[in-house]
Amino acid sequence: MIGLVRAELLKIRRRQATYVLLAIELGLAALIFLATGGIWQQAEVISFPRAYAIFEQVIFQLGGLLAIVFAAAYVGADWNWGVIRNVVARGEGRERYLLAKFLSVAIVLALATVVMFAACFVLLYLQGLIYNVPVANPFRADGLQDLLVWIVAGFPVLLQRAAIGFAVAAIFRSQLAGAVVGIVLFLVEAVVTTILTLLTLSNSLVNDIGSGGFQTTGPEWFQYLPISIGGNVFGALPGAAGFASGNISAALLNPVPFGVAMAGVFIYMIAALVIALVALRRQEIA
Amino acid sequence: MTAEPQLSSAQTAPAASPLDPALAVATRGLVKSYRRHKALVGLDMSVPRGKVYGFLGPNGSGKTTALRLLTGLLRPDAGTIALFGTPYTWHDRKRLFRVGSLIETPSFYPYLSGAENLLVLSAAGPPTDKSRIGQVLEYVGMGGRSKDAVQTYSLGMKQRLGIAAAMLSDPDLLLLDEPANGLDPGGMVAMRETLRYFTESLGKTVIISSHLLHEVEQLADVVGIIDRGRLLREGDLQQLLADAGRVKVRVPVDQMAQAAAILSTFAPQRPLYGVDRGEQAGMFTVAAAPERAAEINKALADAGIYASGLEPGSDLESVFLELTGTGATVHDRPDDVGHMGGPLAAEQALPSTSETPPRASDSSA
Repeated sequence: MIGLVRAELLKIRRRQATYVLLAIELGLAALIFLATGGIWQQAEVISFPRAYAIFEQVIFQLGGLLAIVFAAAYVGADWNWGVIRNVVARGEGRERYLLAKFLSVAIVLALATVVMFAACFVLLYLQGLIYNVPVANPFRADGLQDLLVWIVAGFPVLLQRAAIGFAVAAIFRSQLAGAVVGIVLFLVEAVVTTILTLLTLSNSLVNDIGSGGFQTTGPEWFQYLPISIGGNVFGALPGAAGFASGNISAALLNPVPFGVAMAGVFIYMIAALVIALVALRRQEIA
Repeated sequence: MTAEPQLSSAQTAPAASPLDPALAVATRGLVKSYRRHKALVGLDMSVPRGKVYGFLGPNGSGKTTALRLLTGLLRPDAGTIALFGTPYTWHDRKRLFRVGSLIETPSFYPYLSGAENLLVLSAAGPPTDKSRIGQVLEYVGMGGRSKDAVQTYSLGMKQRLGIAAAMLSDPDLLLLDEPANGLDPGGMVAMRETLRYFTESLGKTVIISSHLLHEVEQLADVVGIIDRGRLLREGDLQQLLADAGRVKVRVPVDQMAQAAAILSTFAPQRPLYGVDRGEQAGMFTVAAAPERAAEINKALADAGIYASGLEPGSDLESVFLELTGTGATVHDRPDDVGHMGGPLAAEQALPSTSETPPRASDSSA
């Protein structure tokens, strides 16, 4: 298995698409920091963990979408280029092969997460310079702890989204189809969840006006959908209350409790992997 | 047209037990369909160990499907496969550790070099010593370009790399699907020598599927001819050729119809092939024993037809055409035209059916 993972890492390392995706994320991160600079102008100092909420937007929300694309393109390429045939015909276990791929993706995403955190710190300091707002020390005693909490809680969400890309690519046997379907799933769920959140909220408001008071509602069923559940994980992290979680349902409705949301993330991740494994195991490779 | 050809005396040998350890591969009653299309309808093939087995058949005859079944890429609908005398099932992946294969076109990561592709491949499947990578690249003459990205390779170079990949884990059985595709003459000679060494010196087994009958004739010890998903003939190549004597005779084109009537009497139950245009115009292939060449010449001369060429012998091409019926019926099976390639594509079927004696396949219908 170690040999397989090393081979997979070589494939990822030498593939141009890996660096293109990272460059896209860095570019979009720079735009996001530039665009959100104004929110700090009211503050005397850019503080932590509040600043991590923007990190989360960049690394885990935007990064989650790119993780789906990356995983789908990476797995689907084996069908596009026909190399899956070589591997299976050599007697390699299909499940072992896919798991090795997933482990490799996990390693690369972990590295990408570290790189992006570092990039976010740099961009934040640049943002502070541009808007003339001093940046607090992120590594003060509890700041470092917050950083670890963000990474530990956020990384499984990133992996879960990569696993969705895996499953889609394994089913569609194509990197393009995998990436496109993955993006569509991501965006469709975001739109549907937003609409349902607003509908739920308006119904709740009508009822509450009738009863003379406003009460928050939820969590609702759609907050447990594969992408939303990740957003609900972030809703409970330090500095990410309300819209800072980047998830509209978690901001406007009662969020899914952190433990439940995290369990949901793992369940979806495992389910996606199982689907990918079953799809590959049953597939005839022409 | 769909009737099976009549087979000559040296038919497929009685099927040995599929579990015979002397067989590297044995399939019995192998059936595979793609939706409504039946690719294999009961394939019984027996590949002896330590031999080069030429697997021949027209396009769409089921060769690649059979090889895919042998490498676990496809699952048979029915039938059995035995590898090295023991049954093999779809998920019995470790049995494939002894098999190296090149199925259809060689497939590699285009952005990796040839050596890197073999490196990542060596991590999958059987434990493979990394030193094999350099060895097999040298075998196929790719040592000099092994560090270049595969996307810069020509088709022939990819083919060589595909053969190297198949040999990577020093397999006991090599399955090569059209390995000569894109190879230059030097590459074909090198491949032939490598495969000969593989079988004769190392005692390994090679199954080579090809449309290049001349290539197979030079390389194979045993051949299996498949058409429409069923094995038509299997056996020792030399024996097959000995049983399939023929005489090639060239007559004036304007006397072909008359000649056809005479020539058909020399092998009334066998098909007669002729070429009515192109460089080979006027050439007949008569399925008669080579020693009857003089007799044929005399019969033609007695009828006032003077042959400008007479060539007794036998070749795999004639056997193939006779068994698969792809000679006189080229135009009826357009899918066969392409694969016939070079000289055969230029040949046209003889004559109209009124001028040609009934083919054996037709007579058996």
